[in-house]
Amino acid sequence: MSQRRSPLRILAWSGLVLILLVSIQQLPVGQRLNLGMAPLLSVLQAPGRWWQDATLWLHTRSQLQSDYQHATIRLEQQSTLTQEVRSLREENRQLRALLDIQQIRGYHWHAAKVQGRSPDKMSQRLILLAQQAAPDDVIVSSDGLVGLVDHAKPGSAVVRTILDAAIAVPVTIPGTALAALVRGQGDRLMVDFVPIENAPKAGSILQTSGAGGMFPAGIPVARITKVEPIPGQVFAKVDAEPIAHWQRESWLAMASATGRAAQ
Amino acid sequence: MIAPFVLLLSLLGIMLNLALAGLVVQPDWAAALLLAAILAQRGNWVWVLPGFWIHDLALHWSSLVCLPVVALIPFFLAKADEHLGPGRPQRVLLMFAGLFPLLWFGWSFSQWLLTMMVCTFAWYFAARPDVSPA
Repeated sequence: MSQRRSPLRILAWSGLVLILLVSIQQLPVGQRLNLGMAPLLSVLQAPGRWWQDATLWLHTRSQLQSDYQHATIRLEQQSTLTQEVRSLREENRQLRALLDIQQIRGYHWHAAKVQGRSPDKMSQRLILLAQQAAPDDVIVSSDGLVGLVDHAKPGSAVVRTILDAAIAVPVTIPGTALAALVRGQGDRLMVDFVPIENAPKAGSILQTSGAGGMFPAGIPVARITKVEPIPGQVFAKVDAEPIAHWQRESWLAMASATGRAAQ
Repeated sequence: MIAPFVLLLSLLGIMLNLALAGLVVQPDWAAALLLAAILAQRGNWVWVLPGFWIHDLALHWSSLVCLPVVALIPFFLAKADEHLGPGRPQRVLLMFAGLFPLLWFGWSFSQWLLTMMVCTFAWYFAARPDVSPA
């Protein structure tokens, strides 16, 4: 006698498995898997590091001398720039005091090395090598905002970038009354709550407003690519792209709120 | 017994995807190998589906990327083989279907194409009948 399973039973099992999968969806299983894999990623990247180190041994004396000369010139240029930065910082401090603008304070900044990233073309998630990371720490590149730490363990952290739909960033354009929200759409950003009358032009740069206290104010977030008024609606449909390019960056900055860092 | 071998290679593939993303264009190694295993022998679903679950979680932090589509493949394959007879066309079609979610979840077309190629290659080797000495 053949043992044919009834379609109803198969359907019931499939439903049960689907319910189980959807409930697991709420748990941070993927994040924990990535954190567990972090030491192994370092092992996989070791041959690349060895190759880099080995090439240094193969440098000839003349190459080393020319590198040294270049380094000396750059050092001189940088010390001049440092002087300029100091005087500009002082000038900036005085101007901010005059205009009564807040500085980015209350955050402890440190560097973190990118150890891995999700393989989708926009790299929506990152794995960082960081000693003092904590959930909700803000990640910033040299260009702008990258995202937030989702989970962390001693030595590594996983980051959700602003392209992830789970993150919403309060933004503004300095000098305007705009208070909008940037949300991730996978491969682009969407800006919510932009009134049609005061809609900024394409190309405008949105910065963090600091509202909500999660992100420090004044960090560039997105460049507006398209503004489309919707007839009969209060708010325009606004598309944007991230300012930061984290797909190829090796190092990123991490800002921990000093209150959180103390904990 | 190819299960431990394919699962181990898939895990290595997932780690390669995470470690070298942004440096080189690479296929989704794990998806290609696991799909090849199920296309070569539909009875392999028992260990291929948990493999796809780990793949989806590690690379996309979600259980619902490739898994829901791949879970239907053994069922459709059985039906198609019953009606059309065992053959390649339905398997090729199901390979397209199984890898299609990658495009939806942000993988580039070149990565998707590479994944198809690796899958076809792995499928060819996994489907070869065992040659036993006379």
